Amino acid sequence: MRIKLKRFGSILTSRPAGREAALAIKAYQRPDADENIEIDFEGVLSVGPSWLDEVLSELRREFGSSRVICLPTKNPSAIESLRVIDS
Amino acid sequence: MKTDTRLRIIKIISEECGAKPIELVRRLGISAQAVHRHLKALVSAGSLEPRGRGPLTRYFIAGAVEIDRARQWYSSIGKPAESPSEFICETRDVLSARLARLSSLAGMGLKEDDLPLVISVVGEVGNNSFDHNLGQWRDDPGCWLETQVTGGRLWICIADRGQGVFRSLSRVDPALQDEQTALLAAFERTLSGRAPEQRGNGLKFVKNIIAGSEKRGLACRSGAALVAYGQLGGACQKELSRFSSQSCGTVTLIVWGLE
Repeated sequence: MRIKLKRFGSILTSRPAGREAALAIKAYQRPDADENIEIDFEGVLSVGPSWLDEVLSELRREFGSSRVICLPTKNPSAIESLRVIDS
Repeated sequence: MKTDTRLRIIKIISEECGAKPIELVRRLGISAQAVHRHLKALVSAGSLEPRGRGPLTRYFIAGAVEIDRARQWYSSIGKPAESPSEFICETRDVLSARLARLSSLAGMGLKEDDLPLVISVVGEVGNNSFDHNLGQWRDDPGCWLETQVTGGRLWICIADRGQGVFRSLSRVDPALQDEQTALLAAFERTLSGRAPEQRGNGLKFVKNIIAGSEKRGLACRSGAALVAYGQLGGACQKELSRFSSQSCGTVTLIVWGLE
Protein backbone atom coordinates (compact mmCIF):
# COMPACT_ATOMS: atom_id res chain seq x y z
CA MET A 1 0.00 0.00 0.00
CA ARG A 2 1.46 3.37 -0.97
CA ILE A 3 0.80 6.55 1.02
CA LYS A 4 1.30 9.57 -1.24
CA LEU A 5 2.18 12.32 1.18
CA LYS A 6 1.40 15.03 -1.38
CA ARG A 7 -2.27 14.24 -0.75
CA PHE A 8 -1.82 15.87 2.66
CA GLY A 9 -0.36 19.05 1.17
CA SER A 10 2.85 20.28 -0.40
CA ILE A 11 4.20 21.74 2.86
CA LEU A 12 3.98 19.30 5.76
CA THR A 13 4.86 20.80 9.13
CA SER A 14 3.72 20.72 12.76
CA ARG A 15 3.02 17.86 15.09
CA PRO A 16 -0.75 18.45 15.31
CA ALA A 17 -1.04 18.28 11.52
CA GLY A 18 1.11 15.13 11.43
CA ARG A 19 -0.99 13.53 14.14
CA GLU A 20 -4.17 14.33 12.21
CA ALA A 21 -2.66 12.88 9.01
CA ALA A 22 -1.71 9.68 10.84
CA LEU A 23 -5.24 9.27 12.19
CA ALA A 24 -6.69 9.84 8.72
CA ILE A 25 -4.35 7.26 7.22
CA LYS A 26 -5.34 4.69 9.85
CA ALA A 27 -9.03 5.40 9.25
CA TYR A 28 -9.12 5.42 5.45
CA GLN A 29 -6.09 3.48 4.23
CA ARG A 30 -5.68 0.13 5.92
CA PRO A 31 -3.12 -2.30 4.46
CA ASP A 32 -3.76 -6.00 3.96
CA ALA A 33 -2.30 -8.34 6.56
CA ASP A 34 0.86 -9.08 4.58
CA GLU A 35 1.19 -5.73 2.81
CA ASN A 36 3.93 -3.18 3.42
CA ILE A 37 3.19 0.53 3.77
CA GLU A 38 5.29 2.62 1.42
CA ILE A 39 5.71 6.31 2.23
CA ASP A 40 5.99 8.28 -1.01
CA PHE A 41 7.49 11.81 -0.86
CA GLU A 42 6.97 12.57 -4.55
CA GLY A 43 5.30 15.96 -5.09
CA VAL A 44 6.01 17.23 -1.57
CA LEU A 45 7.77 20.59 -1.49
CA SER A 46 8.85 20.49 2.14
CA VAL A 47 8.39 18.17 5.10
CA GLY A 48 9.55 18.74 8.67
CA PRO A 49 10.67 16.14 11.22
CA SER A 50 7.84 16.97 13.63
CA TRP A 51 5.13 16.18 11.08
CA LEU A 52 6.93 13.14 9.71
CA ASP A 53 7.73 11.79 13.17
CA GLU A 54 4.06 11.83 14.11
CA VAL A 55 3.09 9.92 10.96
CA LEU A 56 5.89 7.35 11.04
CA SER A 57 5.64 6.73 14.80
CA GLU A 58 1.92 6.10 14.60
CA LEU A 59 2.15 3.81 11.57
CA ARG A 60 5.08 1.88 13.06
CA ARG A 61 3.19 1.50 16.32
CA GLU A 62 0.04 0.29 14.57
CA PHE A 63 1.50 -1.95 11.88
CA GLY A 64 5.08 -2.70 12.97
CA SER A 65 8.31 -0.91 12.05
CA SER A 66 9.40 -3.47 9.48
CA ARG A 67 6.30 -2.90 7.38
CA VAL A 68 6.66 0.89 7.15
CA ILE A 69 9.08 1.74 4.35
CA CYS A 70 10.08 5.22 3.21
CA LEU A 71 10.62 5.25 -0.55
CA PRO A 72 13.85 6.83 -1.80
CA THR A 73 13.62 10.57 -2.25
CA LYS A 74 15.87 13.44 -3.32
CA ASN A 75 13.87 15.96 -1.32
CA PRO A 76 16.46 17.49 1.03
CA SER A 77 13.94 18.24 3.77
CA ALA A 78 12.73 14.62 3.75
CA ILE A 79 16.29 13.32 3.86
CA GLU A 80 17.22 15.59 6.77
CA SER A 81 13.97 14.83 8.62
CA LEU A 82 14.54 11.08 8.38
CA ARG A 83 18.11 11.60 9.55
CA VAL A 84 17.00 13.02 12.93
CA ILE A 85 13.96 10.78 13.31
CA ASP A 86 15.92 7.57 12.84
CA SER A 87 19.04 8.68 14.72
CA MET B 1 36.61 66.86 6.15
CA LYS B 2 34.18 64.96 3.93
CA THR B 3 35.69 61.60 4.88
CA ASP B 4 35.40 62.27 8.62
CA THR B 5 31.77 63.33 8.32
CA ARG B 6 30.92 60.32 6.20
CA LEU B 7 32.60 58.01 8.71
CA ARG B 8 30.60 59.65 11.49
CA ILE B 9 27.39 59.15 9.49
CA ILE B 10 28.19 55.47 9.01
CA LYS B 11 29.02 55.12 12.71
CA ILE B 12 25.73 56.72 13.79
CA ILE B 13 23.69 54.64 11.38
CA SER B 14 25.47 51.46 12.45
CA GLU B 15 24.95 52.18 16.16
CA GLU B 16 21.31 53.25 15.77
CA CYS B 17 20.51 50.57 13.16
CA GLY B 18 19.21 53.16 10.75
CA ALA B 19 18.59 56.90 10.82
CA LYS B 20 16.53 59.57 9.13
CA PRO B 21 18.32 62.56 7.58
CA ILE B 22 16.81 64.89 10.19
CA GLU B 23 18.31 62.78 12.97
CA LEU B 24 21.72 63.05 11.32
CA VAL B 25 21.35 66.83 11.01
CA ARG B 26 20.78 67.03 14.77
CA ARG B 27 23.59 64.64 15.70
CA LEU B 28 26.18 66.12 13.37
CA GLY B 29 25.24 69.80 13.68
CA ILE B 30 25.51 70.40 9.92
CA SER B 31 22.95 71.57 7.37
CA ALA B 32 20.31 69.34 5.86
CA GLN B 33 21.79 69.98 2.39
CA ALA B 34 25.19 68.76 3.55
CA VAL B 35 23.66 65.64 5.10
CA HIS B 36 21.80 64.82 1.90
CA ARG B 37 24.97 65.34 -0.13
CA HIS B 38 26.89 62.91 2.06
CA LEU B 39 24.06 60.38 2.07
CA LYS B 40 23.86 60.49 -1.73
CA ALA B 41 27.58 59.84 -2.01
CA LEU B 42 27.47 56.98 0.48
CA VAL B 43 24.54 55.36 -1.31
CA SER B 44 26.39 55.66 -4.64
CA ALA B 45 29.44 54.07 -3.07
CA GLY B 46 27.32 51.15 -1.87
CA SER B 47 27.92 51.86 1.82
CA LEU B 48 24.34 52.82 2.67
CA GLU B 49 20.90 51.99 1.33
CA PRO B 50 17.69 54.00 1.74
CA ARG B 51 14.47 52.29 2.77
CA GLY B 52 11.05 53.87 2.80
CA ARG B 53 9.71 56.89 0.95
CA GLY B 54 9.67 60.66 1.32
CA PRO B 55 9.92 61.93 4.92
CA LEU B 56 9.82 58.34 6.24
CA THR B 57 13.02 57.39 4.44
CA ARG B 58 15.65 55.91 6.72
CA TYR B 59 19.20 55.06 5.79
CA PHE B 60 20.83 51.77 6.73
CA ILE B 61 24.18 50.10 6.33
CA ALA B 62 23.93 48.40 2.93
CA GLY B 63 23.11 44.74 3.26
CA ALA B 64 22.34 44.93 6.96
CA VAL B 65 19.19 43.37 8.28
CA GLU B 66 16.71 45.70 9.90
CA ILE B 67 14.70 44.00 12.64
CA ASP B 68 14.09 46.91 14.98
CA ARG B 69 10.32 46.43 14.96
CA ALA B 70 10.76 42.77 15.91
CA ARG B 71 13.17 43.85 18.63
CA GLN B 72 10.68 46.35 20.06
CA TRP B 73 7.83 43.85 19.99
CA TYR B 74 9.90 41.12 21.62
CA SER B 75 11.60 43.36 24.18
CA SER B 76 8.52 45.24 25.37
CA ILE B 77 8.03 44.80 29.13
CA GLY B 78 4.25 45.23 28.94
CA LYS B 79 1.93 44.52 26.04
CA PRO B 80 3.66 45.79 22.88
CA ALA B 81 2.47 49.12 21.57
CA GLU B 82 2.53 47.76 18.05
CA SER B 83 1.55 44.27 16.91
CA PRO B 84 1.60 44.47 13.11
CA SER B 85 -0.58 41.82 11.49
CA GLU B 86 1.81 41.62 8.54
CA PHE B 87 4.35 39.92 10.83
CA ILE B 88 2.32 38.36 13.64
CA CYS B 89 1.04 34.81 13.10
CA GLU B 90 -1.61 34.65 15.77
CA THR B 91 -2.45 30.99 15.13
CA ARG B 92 -0.79 27.98 13.52
CA ASP B 93 -3.06 28.35 10.51
CA VAL B 94 -1.69 31.81 9.85
CA LEU B 95 1.86 30.47 10.22
CA SER B 96 1.07 27.70 7.71
CA ALA B 97 -0.23 30.23 5.20
CA ARG B 98 2.89 32.38 5.62
CA LEU B 99 5.10 29.30 5.14
CA ALA B 100 3.46 28.75 1.77
CA ARG B 101 4.41 32.32 0.79
CA LEU B 102 8.09 31.47 1.31
CA SER B 103 7.93 29.70 -2.08
CA SER B 104 8.40 33.13 -3.67
CA LEU B 105 11.97 33.12 -2.34
CA ALA B 106 12.88 30.82 -5.21
CA GLY B 107 12.79 33.86 -7.47
CA MET B 108 15.09 35.87 -5.22
CA GLY B 109 18.28 33.86 -5.51
CA LEU B 110 17.48 30.96 -3.19
CA LYS B 111 18.82 27.71 -4.67
CA GLU B 112 16.15 25.21 -5.69
CA ASP B 113 17.45 22.59 -3.26
CA ASP B 114 17.48 25.11 -0.42
CA LEU B 115 13.80 26.09 -0.58
CA PRO B 116 12.50 22.85 1.05
CA LEU B 117 15.10 23.25 3.81
CA VAL B 118 14.26 26.91 4.49
CA ILE B 119 10.54 26.15 4.69
CA SER B 120 11.01 23.18 7.01
CA VAL B 121 13.43 25.09 9.28
CA VAL B 122 11.03 28.03 9.59
CA GLY B 123 8.19 25.58 10.14
CA GLU B 124 10.00 23.82 12.98
CA VAL B 125 11.04 27.01 14.76
CA GLY B 126 7.68 28.73 14.23
CA ASN B 127 5.65 25.73 15.36
CA ASN B 128 7.85 25.42 18.44
CA SER B 129 6.39 28.75 19.57
CA PHE B 130 2.91 27.22 19.55
CA ASP B 131 3.94 23.78 20.87
CA HIS B 132 5.48 25.25 24.01
CA ASN B 133 3.43 28.35 24.65
CA LEU B 134 -0.18 27.43 23.95
CA GLY B 135 -2.07 28.95 26.84
CA GLN B 136 1.17 30.42 28.20
CA TRP B 137 1.45 33.64 26.16
CA ARG B 138 2.28 36.71 28.21
CA ASP B 139 0.03 38.89 26.08
CA ASP B 140 0.22 38.73 22.27
CA PRO B 141 -0.42 35.11 21.20
CA GLY B 142 1.46 33.60 18.31
CA CYS B 143 4.81 34.25 16.71
CA TRP B 144 6.46 37.04 14.75
CA LEU B 145 7.65 35.90 11.33
CA GLU B 146 9.61 38.32 9.16
CA THR B 147 11.85 37.77 6.14
CA GLN B 148 14.24 40.22 4.48
CA VAL B 149 16.45 39.87 1.45
CA THR B 150 19.39 42.22 1.65
CA GLY B 151 23.10 42.17 0.88
CA GLY B 152 22.86 38.87 -0.98
CA ARG B 153 21.38 37.14 2.06
CA LEU B 154 18.00 35.96 3.26
CA TRP B 155 17.27 36.89 6.86
CA ILE B 156 14.43 35.26 8.80
CA CYS B 157 13.34 36.43 12.24
CA ILE B 158 10.93 34.33 14.33
CA ALA B 159 10.00 35.51 17.80
CA ASP B 160 7.39 34.93 20.47
CA ARG B 161 6.28 36.35 23.81
CA GLY B 162 5.92 32.98 25.47
CA GLN B 163 7.33 31.45 28.61
CA GLY B 164 10.88 30.98 27.35
CA VAL B 165 12.99 27.88 26.94
CA PHE B 166 14.25 27.68 30.54
CA ARG B 167 10.80 27.66 32.08
CA SER B 168 9.61 25.07 29.54
CA LEU B 169 12.55 22.66 29.88
CA SER B 170 13.38 23.02 33.58
CA ARG B 171 9.98 21.57 34.31
CA VAL B 172 11.09 18.24 32.80
CA ASP B 173 14.77 18.41 33.69
CA PRO B 174 15.34 20.21 37.02
CA ALA B 175 19.09 19.70 36.54
CA LEU B 176 19.01 22.59 34.06
CA GLN B 177 20.17 25.37 36.34
CA ASP B 178 20.08 28.43 34.12
CA GLU B 179 18.79 29.85 30.87
CA GLN B 180 21.99 29.30 28.89
CA THR B 181 22.18 25.61 29.83
CA ALA B 182 18.52 25.16 28.95
CA LEU B 183 18.88 26.85 25.55
CA LEU B 184 21.91 24.74 24.69
CA ALA B 185 20.01 21.61 25.75
CA ALA B 186 17.14 22.57 23.44
CA PHE B 187 19.49 22.50 20.44
CA GLU B 188 21.84 19.73 21.51
CA ARG B 189 19.64 17.14 23.27
CA THR B 190 16.44 15.30 22.45
CA LEU B 191 14.49 16.94 25.24
CA SER B 192 11.10 18.58 25.22
CA GLY B 193 9.10 20.70 27.59
CA ARG B 194 6.11 18.67 26.45
CA ALA B 195 7.49 15.45 28.01
CA PRO B 196 6.32 12.73 28.47
CA GLU B 197 5.20 13.23 24.87
CA GLN B 198 7.77 11.71 22.51
CA ARG B 199 9.23 14.78 20.81
CA GLY B 200 12.20 17.11 20.96
CA ASN B 201 14.15 16.59 17.75
CA GLY B 202 13.08 19.69 15.84
CA LEU B 203 15.93 21.98 16.88
CA LYS B 204 18.49 19.24 16.25
CA PHE B 205 17.15 19.16 12.69
CA VAL B 206 17.48 22.93 12.44
CA LYS B 207 21.05 22.85 13.78
CA ASN B 208 22.03 20.11 11.30
CA ILE B 209 20.71 22.12 8.37
CA ILE B 210 22.42 25.32 9.43
CA ALA B 211 25.70 23.43 9.78
CA GLY B 212 25.21 21.99 6.29
CA SER B 213 26.64 25.01 4.49
CA GLU B 214 29.16 27.76 5.21
CA LYS B 215 26.62 30.29 3.92
CA ARG B 216 24.16 29.74 6.76
CA GLY B 217 23.89 30.87 10.34
CA LEU B 218 21.48 31.00 13.26
CA ALA B 219 21.28 32.63 16.64
CA CYS B 220 18.63 32.14 19.28
CA ARG B 221 17.92 34.16 22.40
CA SER B 222 15.65 33.23 25.27
CA GLY B 223 15.93 35.49 28.31
CA ALA B 224 19.59 36.10 29.07
CA ALA B 225 20.65 33.03 27.06
CA LEU B 226 22.07 33.44 23.57
CA VAL B 227 23.47 30.71 21.30
CA ALA B 228 24.74 30.75 17.74
CA TYR B 229 25.40 28.08 15.13
CA GLY B 230 26.87 27.97 11.66
CA GLN B 231 29.56 29.99 9.90
CA LEU B 232 27.32 33.06 9.80
CA GLY B 233 25.96 32.54 13.31
CA GLY B 234 28.10 35.38 14.59
CA ALA B 235 26.28 37.89 12.40
CA CYS B 236 22.95 36.71 13.81
CA GLN B 237 24.28 36.76 17.35
CA LYS B 238 25.43 40.36 16.94
CA GLU B 239 21.88 41.38 15.96
CA LEU B 240 20.20 39.44 18.77
CA SER B 241 22.59 40.84 21.38
CA ARG B 242 20.55 44.06 20.99
CA PHE B 243 17.35 42.27 22.03
CA SER B 244 16.40 42.50 25.67
CA SER B 245 17.72 39.84 28.01
CA GLN B 246 14.80 40.62 30.32
CA SER B 247 12.18 39.33 27.93
CA CYS B 248 10.86 35.86 28.69
CA GLY B 249 10.09 34.86 25.14
CA THR B 250 12.30 33.34 22.46
CA VAL B 251 13.68 34.90 19.29
CA THR B 252 15.56 33.16 16.49
CA LEU B 253 17.39 34.87 13.64
CA ILE B 254 18.47 32.81 10.63
CA VAL B 255 20.66 33.97 7.75
CA TRP B 256 20.96 32.12 4.45
CA GLY B 257 23.30 33.02 1.59
CA LEU B 258 21.69 33.59 -1.80
CA GLU B 259 23.13 33.03 -5.28
